[in-house]
Amino acid sequence: MISRRPSIFIYTSQPDMDFLREIRAGIEEEGVFCEVFPREGADLDTLAYEAANDSMLGSGIGLCGVDAAMQMRGLKKGQNAESYHMPTYEQCRKLGANSARAIKKLPFK
Amino acid sequence: MKLIAGVDIGNSTTEVCVGEADDARHIRFLTSASCATTGTKGTVANIHGIKAALKQAMGKIGRDVGEISLIRLNEAAPVIGDTAMETLTETIITDSSMIGHNPSTPAGAGQAVGELLLLENLYRADPGNPYIVVVSRDHSYEEVAERINRAAEKLDIEGLILQADEAVLVENRLDKKIPIIDEVSRIDRVPDGKTAAIEVALPGQTIRMLSNPYGIATLLGLDAEETRTVTPIAKSLIGKRSAVVIKTPNGDVRENVLPAGEIYLDASNSTKVNLDEGAEKIMQAVADAGTIRDITGQAGTNVGNMLARIKKGMGELSGEEHADIRITDILAVDTLAPVLISGALAGETCLEKAVGIAAMVRTQQLPMQKIAERLAEDLHTEVTVAGVEAVMASLGALTTPGTKLPLAILDMGGGSTDAAVIYEDGHVVLTHQAGAGELVSMLIETELGLGDRHMAEQIKKYPLAKVESLFHMRLENGQMTFVEDSIDPRFYGRVVLLAEQGLIRMEKDIPMEKIVQVRRDAKKKVFATNAFRALRKVAPGHDLKNISNVVLVGGSAEDFEIPEMLMEEFANYRIVCGRGNIRGSEGPRNAVATGLVLSYTGEQR
Repeated sequence: MISRRPSIFIYTSQPDMDFLREIRAGIEEEGVFCEVFPREGADLDTLAYEAANDSMLGSGIGLCGVDAAMQMRGLKKGQNAESYHMPTYEQCRKLGANSARAIKKLPFK
Repeated sequence: MKLIAGVDIGNSTTEVCVGEADDARHIRFLTSASCATTGTKGTVANIHGIKAALKQAMGKIGRDVGEISLIRLNEAAPVIGDTAMETLTETIITDSSMIGHNPSTPAGAGQAVGELLLLENLYRADPGNPYIVVVSRDHSYEEVAERINRAAEKLDIEGLILQADEAVLVENRLDKKIPIIDEVSRIDRVPDGKTAAIEVALPGQTIRMLSNPYGIATLLGLDAEETRTVTPIAKSLIGKRSAVVIKTPNGDVRENVLPAGEIYLDASNSTKVNLDEGAEKIMQAVADAGTIRDITGQAGTNVGNMLARIKKGMGELSGEEHADIRITDILAVDTLAPVLISGALAGETCLEKAVGIAAMVRTQQLPMQKIAERLAEDLHTEVTVAGVEAVMASLGALTTPGTKLPLAILDMGGGSTDAAVIYEDGHVVLTHQAGAGELVSMLIETELGLGDRHMAEQIKKYPLAKVESLFHMRLENGQMTFVEDSIDPRFYGRVVLLAEQGLIRMEKDIPMEKIVQVRRDAKKKVFATNAFRALRKVAPGHDLKNISNVVLVGGSAEDFEIPEMLMEEFANYRIVCGRGNIRGSEGPRNAVATGLVLSYTGEQR
């Protein structure tokens, strides 16, 4: 049996590394695990949508350059739960925290 | 054929009903409508609302307002209701000495005691002395973890207090695990160099040491006298998941009992009652007083100011002199209000005892005649002021299928609860009582600490649900509903109100059960109390057993749970009680307007 640690997936395409660090910090503060996979060339909506669908927790984040979006399994592609263009570090934290809170069934920040 | 319109101007809505009278004076009802009342009830400003409602009603049957040949206005009762709230106790922390809050993600677990030390001052620390390090938002979690790890080799660091929401991030990077509290917004007010105790509860538990006065005494080494002074701190920390208590040499916390004052009842049996004695005693005094001429409060006290404020406010609205305004009835309700503690560090609140009062002010006759004249001028039709409101409401209520005389009605509006009994011979006994929908809203607003009356109104009106996933929510009665399209993520994980036009989000994070309980309690406290009070006044021989039928009318009778609550309460008295259904189709609304049209027949005979 192959079992993986349940985690939030972050799919990235040429990500801004500072944003990625802050998003991961947001997830970590909420006590959830995350994994980062590069998916070069995909657009933001696809990254977020596929990350959410591939994660066994059903929560994923797409980070394409300086655009970040959070998706949840069940939402249509392009209908991101939350998305930012050029977010502040605080917004990145919040995005990460919310993707974790989605799993914990807590209201978003 | 003659078109007759009945117009009822209420505190919050204006209702109209249009009927057609043939030559034999039989009435056929055609249409009705309701609009929000414009301006204060009984003033000329109401005309806009009346016209809008008439237009809406006539529009429904495709006819013009000009075709109406007679408009009958209600003789609105000259009573206006108002509400006020006053807290009776107050907790003050001088020399800020505690933080007790619920950051969603504290880290570590256990208690720690030590001297408070700013991260910037680490170099000053003495080895061998226990410390709790205080960190402002300016330091990143990586930096904090690194510096603490380095310092921990030489120093005894027992705990951490952070301003930013980074407790878990820091803890994951520490070599030695210690309790960490974060999201302390007013970190600048944490005094450097004082002794403090911090506690983080184990997962699934609440703090045990700092919510216990002896626990605080143990950790901070207090004597018996000091332990007494920290009792209010311990009390306010009950149920928290993390807390900080700081020992300041001259800091103390006290619970002030504010001078509540006495209420003077000028009545057939004049009496006075102290606000401290609670709502029950006050209501007993009001009941025993008989016919009340005026109610005042002891000057310079909370209740004195409160009643003076109501009178002043009503005086401004009605344009009457201060002396002419008399409070003829009050409804007092005990409640608890979360009040911001003065001297707190992270916006802590403490539940304080409070009392809510609805007062009813008797004004001089409202200038209905003036409204009638203006309306006649504007619409070029005949307008008359016809009939006392309660009599008309009774007439209208009689159109509810399954009713007969003698009949009691309970008109539950926004400002007042009115009761009337109409006997076989047509005479009517009626009363107006202070306290109705608006007092309920106020109680909900204060007990939940919303600070937003509009939200409280909505909580009162709509049932609750919790959005548990993007595709389902759990309703307050335990039922689950599933939706085809995903629910907007903004509602995810939140408590929402199920309004007609969609979901309304609760901004504050309050458990659904708590909201339900507060809402139901508020309704029960106001409406059950008032229903009994009002009906007892109008019942033959002041005995509820002499009433067999009660029809509930008015805006609050439309509520989704108030009629059921009253039905339960009245069941013990073998009273048939239920929501009215005016003309078999209108529900509990439109009773007065319907009665106004109906009374046209009687008047002409």
